Amino acid sequence: MASVRAASRLLSRRAISNIKAVPAAAVQNSRNFHFSIYGKKNNAKVSDDISTQYPVVDHEFDAVVVGAGGAGLRAAFGLSEAGFNTACVTKLFPTRSHTVAAQGGINAALGNMEDDDWRWHFYDTVKGSDWLGDQDAIHYMTEQAPAAVVELENFGMPFSRTEDGKIYQRAFGGQSLKYGKGGQAHRCCCVADRTGHSLLHTLYGRSLRYDTSYFVEYFALDLLMEDGQCKGVIALCMEDGSIHRFRSQNTVIATGGYGRTYFSCTSAHTSTGDGNAMVTRAGLPCQDLEFVQFHPTGIYGAGCLITEGCRGEGGILINSEGERFMERYAPNAKDLASRDVVSRSMTIEIREGRGVGPEKDHVYLQLHHLPPQQLAARLPGISETAMIFAGVDVTKEPIPVLPTVHYNMGGIPTNYKGQVIDYTDGKDKVVPGLYACGEAACASVHGANRLGANSLLDLVVFGRACALTIASEHKPGEKLSPLKPNAGEESVANMDKLRFASGSLRTSEIRLNMQKTMQNHAAVFRTGSVLKEGCDKMDDIYQTLDQIKTFDRGIVWNTDLVESLELQNLMLNAVQTIHSAEQRKESRGAHAREDFKVRVDEFDYSKPLQGQEKKPFDQHWRKHTLSYVDRKTGKVTLKYRPVIDTSLDEEDCAHVPPAIRSY
Amino acid sequence: MLSGLVAKRLVTGLCQASWRPAITGMVSSRGYRGDAPDDNKFDLIEIPLPPWLEKPDEPINIKRRRLLYESRKRGMLENCILLSLFAKRYLNTMTESQLLQYDRLINEPSNDWDIYYWATEAHPTPEVYQGEVMDMLKEFTKNRNHEQRLDAPSLEYLEKESQ
Repeated sequence: MASVRAASRLLSRRAISNIKAVPAAAVQNSRNFHFSIYGKKNNAKVSDDISTQYPVVDHEFDAVVVGAGGAGLRAAFGLSEAGFNTACVTKLFPTRSHTVAAQGGINAALGNMEDDDWRWHFYDTVKGSDWLGDQDAIHYMTEQAPAAVVELENFGMPFSRTEDGKIYQRAFGGQSLKYGKGGQAHRCCCVADRTGHSLLHTLYGRSLRYDTSYFVEYFALDLLMEDGQCKGVIALCMEDGSIHRFRSQNTVIATGGYGRTYFSCTSAHTSTGDGNAMVTRAGLPCQDLEFVQFHPTGIYGAGCLITEGCRGEGGILINSEGERFMERYAPNAKDLASRDVVSRSMTIEIREGRGVGPEKDHVYLQLHHLPPQQLAARLPGISETAMIFAGVDVTKEPIPVLPTVHYNMGGIPTNYKGQVIDYTDGKDKVVPGLYACGEAACASVHGANRLGANSLLDLVVFGRACALTIASEHKPGEKLSPLKPNAGEESVANMDKLRFASGSLRTSEIRLNMQKTMQNHAAVFRTGSVLKEGCDKMDDIYQTLDQIKTFDRGIVWNTDLVESLELQNLMLNAVQTIHSAEQRKESRGAHAREDFKVRVDEFDYSKPLQGQEKKPFDQHWRKHTLSYVDRKTGKVTLKYRPVIDTSLDEEDCAHVPPAIRSY
Repeated sequence: MLSGLVAKRLVTGLCQASWRPAITGMVSSRGYRGDAPDDNKFDLIEIPLPPWLEKPDEPINIKRRRLLYESRKRGMLENCILLSLFAKRYLNTMTESQLLQYDRLINEPSNDWDIYYWATEAHPTPEVYQGEVMDMLKEFTKNRNHEQRLDAPSLEYLEKESQ
């Protein structure tokens, strides 16, 4: 302990003597170019205001982006291109963000494979969201889609092409022509099977030419909020344990989802909902967190994703009786029905006793009826994954699969321009200085259910929207509003407390308790009593955070500390998710309840509207959930906000009135 | 024949400067998703990222701690599980030269999937990454003992090792 204090005193002494420079350790950082000496006109000052044990370096930027995935990079690139001195703070090297896992593609109504119209894409997305999506944001996204794809191509993304040289587009679930009446649409553009990687590589490479300052392997701790305005971010540099405050008039949160609250999810271990938690701790709401998308085919146990493309190539789902059960649940689309429909069907089969395996708790994905050459050529990645993580040879045996947490439709509420909003006195109110985009945000374009290949589109369109909004309302070099000298002190104190925590429960134990509870109580099928029990258990588990025990007391590359900070973030996301789910007494999109099986809208849309009386706001469920958490007690408060039903231009693109959703 | 080898080494050498795909037949036919034509990799060629540089002055114990974090936090779940299990087995006993090889392997490639394909031998490993550590990783991936690999391990093993 004494040696640690001596070391940190040494560190602070070294840092103070290099007033303008980076702490000594980082000067030898081989990734020097990321620092760009703190941007064009920064004086990196070292201050003692927070704590003498933790040297604090202050930076000033025109804009700070937290997260370097598809959305974060697009925002950072857009801001740098517009002349803003931009910092991008990320806990991972940009090309290692979870976006790299995306292999599907980006939807855009380019019309290369057949005649297409973005209004049809608009209709598909509104229907896919089960009418919980805000139609102005969906209008914005689908109308911008073709231009966004062309723009990416101009940046250098090598989209796969047809023989005529046009961008190749493939089919994907939920996409149709002529407002659902014209058959399957082909509007998913891709870069072979590495669309996510190409997006990251292209945006990262281009943004460096505009002199964006990257702070890689910095863990963002909290937002610096004062008087309801966001004035920047405070972060921990993992390389040398120093604290950095990034002051800025514009902060963009692009930190991704929070799949890791569940025991089984397809997400990397980096999906810990850091942005959502930062916003919650700032007293702001998160929206629609109960809507968690379950991908039908994740490998049982490990959770690794088996792509929807398998079913596109002819793979089928079978139960213990060897029956292709999707024929019963979705006679037309069968195994290619919308993800929530397939997940629900699989869960019903398991609950009715037709599951496979010793505990009858999963189903099989059968591929061995396909010719081996097709498997080798079209789906080679699946063969490896199945062998390594499930021990299965796909040419001989079926793969054990289970609906697995895949995406979070909910997140930080924003308007269609990317500005974070709060809902007070019955109105949306913009939070000054704060923006959000990507999976972390909830614009809301995906509503209650996301369509495949709409996520990468969401990243680029709203990443760009944040940059455009900031550029239109602010100028580079704007004077920063004043900030208290000890801003961020609480965050550092919390981190210090975690670093020296010596309670009775290890981080991994608390994390496992949380994950198992969420998996058992808030998974695909939800019912009142089980959710209520889960809420009580989660509230207790939240309290156990006080008894956390960490073992690594160091400050440099302390993985234990980072994973404990991530656990705190996950916990905030988990309690909001389960409480929101327990309160929502209907089934909509990805939120399916056994005790409330139907959608409860303001009218009953399964019958003619004439003669029906519109239900008041508090008696139907076509509304967004806003959840707040009192950090000290862990108590979750819920509020509701209406869905935006009008498009941006009713004459150009009329909104889609709610209807019964069937495929 | 000889000039062919020289040419190949030249090309691979060129590829070391910035991560460009070696023109050694690494065509990505792996791609599922329907009839998408092959990948021309123009983004990797036209937009080179700054080169990875080793950190010669980093103390070896700090290097191990950094590589532990970088093994556990990857772009997709498959690599998270594989590399954190690999790190659990080998990281604390690697020699300095092995650590350097590992550092390069997990930090230089821009596409995390490539590391996975090389480890599973679905794609040939580029020459620049071949070596002792890559062989260890390939062998580890084969999982000859059929260990259950359901998730990345928690950090408890580090605590036990330090006791």
